[in-house]
Amino acid sequence: MASTACFIIVSRNDIPIYEAEVGSAAKREDAAQLHQFVLHAALDIVQDLAWTTSAMFLKAIDRFNDLVVSVYVTAEVCMYLIFTCRMACLNWKQLLILLNPLYLPGSRVTSSHFDTKVRALARKYL
Amino acid sequence: MEPDVSIETSSMIRVAVLPIGEVPPSLMRDYLSMLLRHQAIPLSAISSFYTEHQKSPFANQPWDSGSLRFKFVLGGAPPSPWEDFQSNRKILAVIGICHCPSSPDLGFVVDQFNAACKGYSSALVERCFAFFPGDSQLEDGSKKGGNLMLFPPADRETQELHLQTMMQDIAASLLMEFEKWVLQAESTGTILKTPLDSQSSLSSEEVIKAKKRRLGRAQKTIGDYCLLAGSPVDANAHYSTALELSRLTGDFFWLAGAMEGSVCALLIDRMGQRDAVLEEEVRYRYHSVIVHYRKSFIQENAQRVSPITFELEATLKLARRELAKEVVDLLTAATDGAKSLIDSSDRLILYVEIARLYGTLGYDRKAAFFSRQVAQLYLQQENRLAAISALQVLALTTKAYRVQSIASVSKSSFAKKETGSGHADSTKMLHQSVVSLFESQWSTLQMVVLREILLSAVRAGDPLAAWSAAARLLRSYYPLITPAGQNGLASALSNSADRLPLGTRSADPALPFIRLHSFPLHSLQMDIVKRSLAREDWWAGSAPSGPFIYTPFSKGEPNNNSKQELTWVVGEPVQVLVELANPCGFDLRVDSIYLSVSSGNFDPFPVTIDLPTNSSKVITLSGIPTSVGPVTIHGCTVHCFGVITEHLFKDVDNLLLGAMQGLVLSDPFRCCGSGRLKNVSVPNISVVPPLPLLVSCIVGGDGAIILHEGEIRDVWISLANAGTVPVEQAHISLSGKNQDSVLSFASEILKSALPLKPGAEVTISVTLKAWRLGLVDADTAGGKSASGSIMRHSKDGNSPALLIHYSGPLTNSGDPQTNEIVIPPGRRLVVPLQICVLQGLSFVKARLLSMEIPAHVGENLPKLVQVDGHCSEGAIVSNNKMEKLVKIDPFRGSWGLRFLELELSNPTDVIFDISVSVQLENSSIEDGLSIDHDAAEYGYPKTRIDRDCSARVLIPLEHFKLPILDSSFFVKDDQADGVASGRSSVFSEKYTKAELNASIKNLISRIKVRWQSGLSSSGELNIKDAIHAALQTSVMDVLLPDPMTFGFRLLRSSSEPEDLGSHKESTAEVLSSASKGSVLAHEITPMEVMVRNNTKDMIKMSLSITCRDVAGENCVEGAKATVLLAGVLSGITMEVPSLQEIKHSFSLYFLIPGDYTLVANAMIDDANDILRARARTDSLDGPILCRGPPYHVHVVGTA
Repeated sequence: MASTACFIIVSRNDIPIYEAEVGSAAKREDAAQLHQFVLHAALDIVQDLAWTTSAMFLKAIDRFNDLVVSVYVTAEVCMYLIFTCRMACLNWKQLLILLNPLYLPGSRVTSSHFDTKVRALARKYL
Repeated sequence: MEPDVSIETSSMIRVAVLPIGEVPPSLMRDYLSMLLRHQAIPLSAISSFYTEHQKSPFANQPWDSGSLRFKFVLGGAPPSPWEDFQSNRKILAVIGICHCPSSPDLGFVVDQFNAACKGYSSALVERCFAFFPGDSQLEDGSKKGGNLMLFPPADRETQELHLQTMMQDIAASLLMEFEKWVLQAESTGTILKTPLDSQSSLSSEEVIKAKKRRLGRAQKTIGDYCLLAGSPVDANAHYSTALELSRLTGDFFWLAGAMEGSVCALLIDRMGQRDAVLEEEVRYRYHSVIVHYRKSFIQENAQRVSPITFELEATLKLARRELAKEVVDLLTAATDGAKSLIDSSDRLILYVEIARLYGTLGYDRKAAFFSRQVAQLYLQQENRLAAISALQVLALTTKAYRVQSIASVSKSSFAKKETGSGHADSTKMLHQSVVSLFESQWSTLQMVVLREILLSAVRAGDPLAAWSAAARLLRSYYPLITPAGQNGLASALSNSADRLPLGTRSADPALPFIRLHSFPLHSLQMDIVKRSLAREDWWAGSAPSGPFIYTPFSKGEPNNNSKQELTWVVGEPVQVLVELANPCGFDLRVDSIYLSVSSGNFDPFPVTIDLPTNSSKVITLSGIPTSVGPVTIHGCTVHCFGVITEHLFKDVDNLLLGAMQGLVLSDPFRCCGSGRLKNVSVPNISVVPPLPLLVSCIVGGDGAIILHEGEIRDVWISLANAGTVPVEQAHISLSGKNQDSVLSFASEILKSALPLKPGAEVTISVTLKAWRLGLVDADTAGGKSASGSIMRHSKDGNSPALLIHYSGPLTNSGDPQTNEIVIPPGRRLVVPLQICVLQGLSFVKARLLSMEIPAHVGENLPKLVQVDGHCSEGAIVSNNKMEKLVKIDPFRGSWGLRFLELELSNPTDVIFDISVSVQLENSSIEDGLSIDHDAAEYGYPKTRIDRDCSARVLIPLEHFKLPILDSSFFVKDDQADGVASGRSSVFSEKYTKAELNASIKNLISRIKVRWQSGLSSSGELNIKDAIHAALQTSVMDVLLPDPMTFGFRLLRSSSEPEDLGSHKESTAEVLSSASKGSVLAHEITPMEVMVRNNTKDMIKMSLSITCRDVAGENCVEGAKATVLLAGVLSGITMEVPSLQEIKHSFSLYFLIPGDYTLVANAMIDDANDILRARARTDSLDGPILCRGPPYHVHVVGTA
């Protein structure tokens, strides 16, 4: 489990705009679903917690069994839900997406370039 | 583990409530609700039932403030292995509930109750409550006595009072039993064991320890009973002892239990108080409880039994009291403990409790997460009841995952959505609202949840829930489902439908996707026009927009699509176009689809549709409005996959909007290949009472009316009232292009037929005249006539249309009070006259021909000008047909003939017969000086033009001379000749021009060139322009008289009678007429020349008469003239007064017989401008010569 991670960017309206299941472990469908369920449930806690702290990176705010949720809260725009830390550099990548004038807030991120970058970073840190 | 635990649970007396005999569930619920009111019985209330047998062990019982608490366990529970550890786990009392009417035999009831109580060995009090006993049962029951309590039929209040008394009795009995138990335990001691305790015998050195441990446990249990008896102070005292002892003996499990009890005692003691110190105390103590429970974990029997459940229960108990942050921590810790739980039902309870706690915190998603875990545990049990539970639990999670069934969405949230979309005016707002519509699109999760709901519903045997889940899954997530999966869902839908009764409705729509395509406006035949009483000509304002989409007249009107209004008529079928899409990989059969109208005044017609894989279809849904009022169409009702669902247009609109914003997975219509459609909004539809309905039909077929250019034909249009209301008002007007092609329409026939009853029919005639094809049309028609593509000229755009506005009677509104007159709208019927104009005769050129045939000098002047306005035509014109063509120009005096020659070609494939007629009218001549009194038309022989031939038609121009030569006529002529005429004033110029033009027009209008082709078609050739052009150059010659008219006459007293019948042909005629007025040679021939002045001025002239022998073609003028003999009689000076004639007699003596020509020439010395202009001389001074026409003299005799 340690070698797998789920990475999701959630927009303001709690809409997931980017999802990536990264890691070397064999992808099992129900496991991926469980990851998403856990992340979805963790949003409740993130929402409460984000207002109580000035930190952007909230490490291990929630867990279910051995799935640990860490969140990177950017300037009121998006939240990353990841099972591992050290992916803060993604923030820059995502900022580029948000700066794109053609990007409609709330719609899905479909850039394959972004996807490649995320997966490359995941390989580096996992 | 147990559900629903809290710290106070330790103080509750557990009572099993068992139904005895048959108790209907609703009644059972009712009885239970009565019982539940008595969860706490105040100690003060039970004192009357309480008798102190011995010294109570509960010394510090708070009789005034304390109470006994009950926890009713419906249906009872199996004895817990932990009963000794926590006395509140024991079932201490059993209450049976019996519904007497369904269990007549009370003895049997008692037996049953006793048997049921056997399972509860720990029960100290047993009562059976029998409700609504009959009279015999009352009698019988009183004999039975014992535990059977009868509740005689009474009103609810009485029964509740009765029950309260009974419960107080039970409470008192229990209290006394507790006292007994405690006294016994204190005196004799008791052995208390838990499953944790080792089965192996204790070693000898541990015996003392074991004794102490036993004492400690006994103290803890006594404390438990004290708590149950409602005496926290006593309980606390015993717990303190127990704590000491168990700490000494290291009995951590019991230590934790005693500690837990002491916290409960503390809370009961401080009931109603909440302060920070207390909270801190509770938290501190409970954390140590949890720690001690954890300590008591023994590895050796971990597989069999574990105190972890108590640890988790303690965690949950604490969490129930705590604040959010701490709760989350506690619950996360509890979640971690779930893995160590051995019993899956314990895990189930744990997750249920965690979910509930998260739910109370407002953490919906967390709660949903754990609910789903619960559902999964239920599903693992693989039985129907568990599946039902799973289904119910999953139904709770749908809100958090936003996959809830429409049925479960409350009305209030619906209303909120409505206003939300209503405010969406600006695009930003629109976007916001759209986003909120698709909030939390966690499609993966949503699909999983829906799939689990489907699975559990199938297992639970709930076909409707299964259908609904499959429908939601298919409708919302079809792009994410493989075709095989889609097929599976489709079969799941139909399998579920098989188990459902016919006509089951589901709130969740499945496929297809339905969007509004358009509302067809009324056809031209049924158009509805608003009318008001104020305007008699209500149709005038509602002028049709014509062939253009945009008309400047309609610019001011609000043409906003969203504010579009539609009017439907009661009883007349209407149509609405909707588009269906099936984006899935299976063929969809929609058993029936019809419009869903909430206003209830619409009768929709269902249709059946088959939608192949990945296809969309625009279909027409129709129906009949049944009553007056507004109609609101929300969507369609669809019977598909065996279930009836309602598909709202609004939902699909939102979906499409979301797809446009990239928020939704896919646009179902686009993926089916259908184009993007403008968002169609449902217009305001109102239904009006029945209106008349005119149906038109062109008699003789509705095809295009094929006419040749210029053809005139009558068309009969029959109008029938197909409505149920008579037509009371009607008005016909024209619209469209080529309106002048409709010569007349018989609107009076329609008017006279009013009111037109339903079913009645009237036929009106319309006279059409085909217009001329345009230049381009003619070219193409000419070029392609061979290929027969002329028919394409029957384009609608060119044809005129009859507009018939009509309306029914005014009706009274149904309300008798107001009695106001409702004005039903009128209607408009457009009858397009499909005229196809074929090219007819084409005009090639026109020219004016003139010729002069010399007149014979006879005894009479040829057709003299009669002052009295009569002339005898018969004297000159013979009856011969050809002769008629040749008439003598009375003003010129000779046979001056002018013809308009028209060259016509016939490019068509039919034969045309041309007939020319000239209409003669006296009245049309200006000053009444008529030449011809005959107002009839002259008919000329028909000219036949074969196909692809050309022909020339001659139109004689005559009888059009004006009687007086006036200066005013020359203004135009002057200018044409370039002669500056200072005399002409602007006024006269205008006047004369107009007069001249008028006379030309008048002339032209009297010439009609008609043609006929075949038997039926005939028409008129439009040659006005051609004639105009031809006449323009020589208008003077045609219209104006010569300034002077000359005539010759033989002065002979006797004349031979004319024998008209002997003339056979024209040449013979000329000869014979010549012989008639023949002159003999060698004889003095007295003759007379007559000079008439046609001007308004006196003319002085010098007349000369030339006589020439005729030989050659042109003997009158020119150098070529071959003149054999010539004699001139000159020097006759005469003055002719204005508009008078003067005769001058002279004699000629012919030497040689032959043909001679007499010509009169007048030299006018002081000619005025008029004469000069007429004579076309360029010189401004000098005499002008005015020559008369030649006269023919035939001289007979011998030389």
